[in-house]
Amino acid sequence: MSEQQDAVTPEEIGCLESIETLYAYLDGEIRDPADAAKIEHHLSHCRSCYSRAELERRLSRRLRSSGSLQAPDALRDRLKDLMDKL
Amino acid sequence: MPTTPQDDRKADFTARVEANMDALYSVALRLTRNSADAQDLVAETVSRAWVARDQLENRALFRPWVFRILRNAFVSDCRRKAVRPVESRYQDLLADDDGDVASLLVEESDEFLDWWSNPEQRVSNDHLGAQIMAAIDNLPAAFRTTVLLVNVDGLTYDEAADVLGVPPGTVRSRMKRGRTQLQKALWQQAQDEGLAVAARGLGDAP
Repeated sequence: MSEQQDAVTPEEIGCLESIETLYAYLDGEIRDPADAAKIEHHLSHCRSCYSRAELERRLSRRLRSSGSLQAPDALRDRLKDLMDKL
Repeated sequence: MPTTPQDDRKADFTARVEANMDALYSVALRLTRNSADAQDLVAETVSRAWVARDQLENRALFRPWVFRILRNAFVSDCRRKAVRPVESRYQDLLADDDGDVASLLVEESDEFLDWWSNPEQRVSNDHLGAQIMAAIDNLPAAFRTTVLLVNVDGLTYDEAADVLGVPPGTVRSRMKRGRTQLQKALWQQAQDEGLAVAARGLGDAP
């Protein structure tokens, strides 16, 4: 039983390593599932890092809603004219 | 009248430009920090992209390809205008700081996290949004631009790396450092405005 658990339990990482990879993890940039599992395991066992991750998730949502931009109408008209002449 | 391959190519190009217009403008504005210059940069980028269209073998890769063209046009424009030497203007975006990330983390971490995550103790949404953007404006240029490209404009690390002309690992490093500095700045703002103290006071009330 314990051997089976060892086979599926992700490698333990500490808080420093968790912080090093946290932002890439939250941005969906950790491509190796084993690496993602390590940080998820740590976040599920460490209150401080879990809270930090939650803060960063909220901050990311805030950033997306606070600053997203649309091209001005003047630019749209300019590009339409430009592409009509191509 | 039947359409020609050239007509199809132009229609496809136009559709891809329109689909990416907001992203192109946002990224151009991050680089130029000026709307008029950003609009000029996007127009120049689209012109260059059309001229170079045959170099794009896989049209599904239009977005990263056009971001690279935009970056090259930006660098060329810096050199041509020489309003400010490109070495200082563009290198602002390339600067890195290899210090210890852990040293940036706020010391009052748990207190800060509790304060941030408790909606009853937070200030209004509008005020918090303004605080965040002000804190981003004060980040060093390299970190500010990277955080804006990824977290606001939604670029992947690879796309941001193309725009900035740096390796993806550098984007990853800048995100880590930029976001930890941002967190520290927000906590400092909260302390300066007495909001964190007020929040603690609320928490202590009987």
